[in-house]
Amino acid sequence: MAGKILVVDDDPDILDAVAMILESQGYKVVTARDGAEGLATLKAEQPDLMILDLLMPKMDGFAVCKELQDPKWSEYKNIPILVLTSVREDASRRRYELETGVELDVDDYLEKPMSPDVLLERVSTSIQKRRP
Amino acid sequence: MATSNADSNKLLSRPETERTPEEETLVMRLSIFVKMRWVAILGVILVTVVARYGFDIVFPTPPVYIVCVFMALYNLFLTRQLSGLNKLPAEQIIPRARRLGYFHIIFDMLALTVLLHFTGGMENPFVYLFVFHIVMASMGLNDRAVYLLCTVALVMVASLYGMEAVGIIPHVNLEGFVLPTRYQETGRIAAQLVVLAVLLYGTAYMSTAIVREMRTRQREVALRGQLLAEKIDELESAFGEIGKLREERDKFLYFIGVAAHDLKAPLTAIQGFLWVMMGGFTGEISEKQKNILERSAYRITELLRLISDLLDIPRIESGRIVEEMKELSLHQVIFHSIDGHRNLAETKGIELKAEISKELPRIMGSITRLQQVVNNLVNNAIKYTPKGTITVRAQEHDTDVLVEVMDTGIGIPPEDMPRLFDDFFRASNAQSKGTGLGLSISRRIIEAHGGRIWAESPCSGTTSGSKFSFTLPKMSKTTKT
Repeated sequence: MAGKILVVDDDPDILDAVAMILESQGYKVVTARDGAEGLATLKAEQPDLMILDLLMPKMDGFAVCKELQDPKWSEYKNIPILVLTSVREDASRRRYELETGVELDVDDYLEKPMSPDVLLERVSTSIQKRRP
Repeated sequence: MATSNADSNKLLSRPETERTPEEETLVMRLSIFVKMRWVAILGVILVTVVARYGFDIVFPTPPVYIVCVFMALYNLFLTRQLSGLNKLPAEQIIPRARRLGYFHIIFDMLALTVLLHFTGGMENPFVYLFVFHIVMASMGLNDRAVYLLCTVALVMVASLYGMEAVGIIPHVNLEGFVLPTRYQETGRIAAQLVVLAVLLYGTAYMSTAIVREMRTRQREVALRGQLLAEKIDELESAFGEIGKLREERDKFLYFIGVAAHDLKAPLTAIQGFLWVMMGGFTGEISEKQKNILERSAYRITELLRLISDLLDIPRIESGRIVEEMKELSLHQVIFHSIDGHRNLAETKGIELKAEISKELPRIMGSITRLQQVVNNLVNNAIKYTPKGTITVRAQEHDTDVLVEVMDTGIGIPPEDMPRLFDDFFRASNAQSKGTGLGLSISRRIIEAHGGRIWAESPCSGTTSGSKFSFTLPKMSKTTKT
């Protein structure tokens, strides 16, 4: 089995595109439309990888990353996070550091638009890295 | 400022009849005179008592006290007049105050003359107190009035002495102080009058000179104050203007930022779908379909690049670039850019060279932004160079680091040079497409770092190519520690 991937993005078309790409390689895809829903799905589905957008309504990706630092999420700590966003990586990292005072602890960072090949390559690397 | 100089000349040389700054304070001086008069009355009484009983100088005292009462009465009258001044319209205050001033001094001189008459006439040395009146007059009145008052005083004293000498009015001898015959010695009288005249006119000359000098200074100060106030007004309105412009610019930058971001989201989604189809994730597609999809995806890439350039402008202009700055080495930035472009240069058969001094000082800057500048310059150089060499050079100078990117390419037409760093400008001989924002963004980045960027074409010492140079200030200049 290739693995289960949670994709969190507020844009349904991006969700569809990413899902199509991932499902073609046999990954099982679950989706969420904002950070709060993403965290709930993370708990319920126990995915092997979370693909996370940063700019979202209600609870954004930054807030999700911050929430996951809390000890009550320690059992999900080994689930890798791949950020997929249109925000530039250095800008995001700086913003997160300014807001929280700690470094953005994610496993990979991919800027939109993402080519399918690159996405698949990064997903497989991230999943294998944390697979026990 | 030619007009205000003319104004100042006019102000400094205006006729004596106009209001001067000292005359403005005339009212204040008059009230001081009133207070001094009370002290003077007390002084007269005290001197009389001391002379009569302390020194046994014999003279009839009741007339002296009567004069004191008279002085007190007109002093009360002047006090009332003075408090009435403020109720007058502004333009009438000064002429009225000046007239009051004359009255004060004339009354005082008359009172002094009468006092002298009852206390020994020419035998009384207090005649020299007239100097006080002249000094007082020169503080508030014009020069002519002061000299006139000198003359009035002299005439009063001369008449007094004369009339006493010839017996028109009685003479009081200060018994035990002066010989009873002296008041008729014309030589004595003349000598005393000459001394008094010299003293009064001399005092008038000196004190009016001093007052005139003060007056000039005071006017200059007043004028400067006025000019200063005007300048402050101008500055304030300029600041207000700047504030308004800045606010409008910020609004506009925000607008560009939001608009660009909102354009980006749907384009990103479209691009995602196009790539999904092109990658065959939705089933087989024909060559023709694939070709169309590729061309669409290329156009979207172009649009996304333009949007990302548009997003850069507000980010740099709003000063957010300062937050990104830290200590960095230009070595790393330049080599990273050269490595990134080596493949592109090789495919075009162009040599890419670096001449970078070993000991480059560290600078304060944003790595990603400076990387963007060097990438832009190197990329442009490759784009506009059909064959030859591209050289990237970096040297330390006194206060900054100079980075140059030279090529042997097609160069820049001279008429394009002035607008090279403007938004959306593309050289007239450019064949390839671009957003026209690359160099203008580079300029913004370098300027935000406190540096300068410029271009030369052809390269100095040659007949072809172009050279782009920028400077960045060294660490010691930009860091506060």
